[in-house]
Amino acid sequence: MSTESFYYAFVVSLTLLLACVVRSVRARQIIYLFASYILYATWGMPFLGLLILSSLVNYTLGMWLRRHLSVACLWVGVVFNLAILATFKYLPCVAILAFGRSSFGTWMARIALPVGLSFWTFQALSYLFDIYREEELDPSLVEFCLYMAFWPTVLSGPICRLGNLLPQFRQQFTPRREDFSVGFDRMFLGLLLMALAEMMGAGIRSGQGIDAAFASTATKWSGADVWCLAIGYGFQLFFNFAGYCHIVIGAARLFGIRLDENFSRPYLSTTPSIFWTRWHMSLSFWIRDYLFFPLATVRREKWWRNLALVFSMVTFGLWHRGAVLFAIWGLYHGILLVLHRKWQQLQRWSGFSWPQYVAIPVSWAVTFAAISFGWIFFRANDLRQSFAMVAAVFSFPSYGQHLLPPRLYALIALLAVGYFILIALSPLRRDRSEGICAGLPLEFKCALYGVMFYLAVLHNAEPQQFIYFQF
Amino acid sequence: MKRSASILRILFGLLIFAAAGELCARIDDFIAYGAPLWGSYNTDRLYERDQIGQRGRPGARYKKWQLNSMGYRGPELRSGTIRIVCFGSSETFGLYEANDEEFPRQLERDLNARSGKEVFQVVNVAYPGETVATSILRVPEIVESIHPRFAFIYASPANYIWLPWIRPSMSGGSPEKRYDMFDLRVADRTRTALKSILPEHVQTWLRQRDVDSVAADYNVMDRVPDENVSRYRSDLATLVNSLRSRGVEPILVTHASPFGEHPAKPDYQLLTSWRKFYPMLANEGFIDMEQRMNDAMRSLAASEHIQLVDAAREIPPSRDNFADFCHFTTLGAGLMASRLADEFTARNDVRVPAKVGGPANSREAGITAAWHPMCQAVFRVTRRRSSSL
Repeated sequence: MSTESFYYAFVVSLTLLLACVVRSVRARQIIYLFASYILYATWGMPFLGLLILSSLVNYTLGMWLRRHLSVACLWVGVVFNLAILATFKYLPCVAILAFGRSSFGTWMARIALPVGLSFWTFQALSYLFDIYREEELDPSLVEFCLYMAFWPTVLSGPICRLGNLLPQFRQQFTPRREDFSVGFDRMFLGLLLMALAEMMGAGIRSGQGIDAAFASTATKWSGADVWCLAIGYGFQLFFNFAGYCHIVIGAARLFGIRLDENFSRPYLSTTPSIFWTRWHMSLSFWIRDYLFFPLATVRREKWWRNLALVFSMVTFGLWHRGAVLFAIWGLYHGILLVLHRKWQQLQRWSGFSWPQYVAIPVSWAVTFAAISFGWIFFRANDLRQSFAMVAAVFSFPSYGQHLLPPRLYALIALLAVGYFILIALSPLRRDRSEGICAGLPLEFKCALYGVMFYLAVLHNAEPQQFIYFQF
Repeated sequence: MKRSASILRILFGLLIFAAAGELCARIDDFIAYGAPLWGSYNTDRLYERDQIGQRGRPGARYKKWQLNSMGYRGPELRSGTIRIVCFGSSETFGLYEANDEEFPRQLERDLNARSGKEVFQVVNVAYPGETVATSILRVPEIVESIHPRFAFIYASPANYIWLPWIRPSMSGGSPEKRYDMFDLRVADRTRTALKSILPEHVQTWLRQRDVDSVAADYNVMDRVPDENVSRYRSDLATLVNSLRSRGVEPILVTHASPFGEHPAKPDYQLLTSWRKFYPMLANEGFIDMEQRMNDAMRSLAASEHIQLVDAAREIPPSRDNFADFCHFTTLGAGLMASRLADEFTARNDVRVPAKVGGPANSREAGITAAWHPMCQAVFRVTRRRSSSL
């Protein structure tokens, strides 16, 4: 927990109180915007300046585009947003590659990345694309600025669409018990998932987690170790990001605003295509709607569609960071998706189909293994490490040994199996969409909240000053 | 009636919330440190009392703090080593550093790395809050049981801010603290979590409020009286003489702090957090105290020809090196260890032979008496007195 958490808790509580009191929709929007800017400013005032500048320019471009609907106007907006993204996100990486440790390279590398830049820039782009597609969007300046800076989503998404948020910004806010209940449930669940992710990273005992394993570049891992790390990191990333999204969605729900889901049981996917409709859905749908579809429809040939798919996935990878490993990760998933299409075509052509009880488990296992294997490129510190890990996977004699601590194996196995068991049990509950605690008696809920709060907040709060307090 | 029932239900819910947290804390401590599930678990586990006062309980463990069978923080004594002891307070005992990263441990590793063999053992004989006056009383038992060749003295000047707190002589120890069965473990964690999230200026305001309420009971001083500085110097001199008379060569270390030797703009927040422990001294008095006490140590080192490491001048006053107003971070402890090792190896010619000998266990009576000259002969540790001191 950091001081920012305190600011967030304080400002959000205050905003909620004000929102309950204020009747005017416009006044409430201004309060939300003001709170969003205050919270964003805790990460740095210059970042806030850039966010406001981007909001103003994109709003102006949007109005211009509405009046003169043309590709040229759209391109101006696209170039403006890509220029911001390139300057702050990719230029420092390129400068290091191109100029190394020279004074110019070092100077460029020092350009700070504004928090959430990729998220709110993509939101701005989706706004321009939607206007170009002649969607009925007529936000006021305050509404558009709020859409760009809305405090639950501005830092790390989910990437929202104005068409979804605008009607909710305009509706009257009536505090409802159901919203609070679901909101708090999801926030606690998110905190729990993030705590589990942290535990996987740090290990049960300090220095025995996934982070330490990836940091020890000199170790020659066995194939079993690499699989353990890849699967473990996949779950760590999932718990971390999905946990964050639960908090964001829950926090917005306190204000009666329903955000789109960002994850939907991705590790139950039985094909790579299904996985990409369940993992980081807001970005994957963005890429699909605004990049893949327009690109794929330029030509009718199949090879072009496959190329568009690979290109989209490489862009997906590079969206995370301008690094070769992310490009490789995107390329890997692009190829995986193309191979899956080819497999489907082959099945259709041959008329061959497996019985469901064989096809589903096999498809799931292959997909899970393929997705997990991909995390090697996503997490490895450099190319050399990723290649060494890939080599270990294909070094079958190495599978007999393991260098990772048994505790880490046990932790990853426990959390992964626990996750699947919980998922398997969840269809038994009628109202699972309304949070994990919905329908439970208050006493049981409180006990569950207590456990979640401990794991999320207090687990890492080791008293240090106590010895000195005695004297 | 209905309203009071729902209030009761909410209170009951809060009670369950807290109980679940407490249960988690106990299970967590049990898994991570083997702490008992039932009963209290706090620093009292580390200490016991004798006729001098508080000392380490042999073999005790509390979280990352592990004492050896002699009651000192660190591993058991090894045979065939040159032993160096470190006197001091919580700064030496180690508070914020990662496990085994307090400066005496890092110093041992550093010295052994430089000599190329595991010939040095640094024994951390410090306890939090220990004054030089108490250390003097501990010298006989320390020398008898450890047989050190050298002793680093990193005394905390703050212990001399208020002389009534200094134990003047042998006095009976107070009764052992009772272990409280219902000591809430989740409370400490909540306090720490709050400290990590509350903005520093809010914490400082809260501390200042506490200080103001306690300071009313004292006549607040602008600076530490000269009498206290003299007492600090005379206690140091007594400790040095006591060690020398037993064949142990003392090395004085000036007290380093995040304020530096000549702070341009003292960190008000850090000073306030320090003052919380000594409300009788005004904020500015702490920096003055550090300077005058360190000067007293320097003058003692010069007049008595004692080796001195001027850590106050050599450890950069950066927040990277200090976790609070005087305690080291792992990085700061590493820097301290490195400076001590530099000074030690520069002034003491340590040549290590290929074969190392020595007693199997220095604690065994009889062997230890003959061990010192043997150790000197084997390792040929020759101390060069510096004329500059």
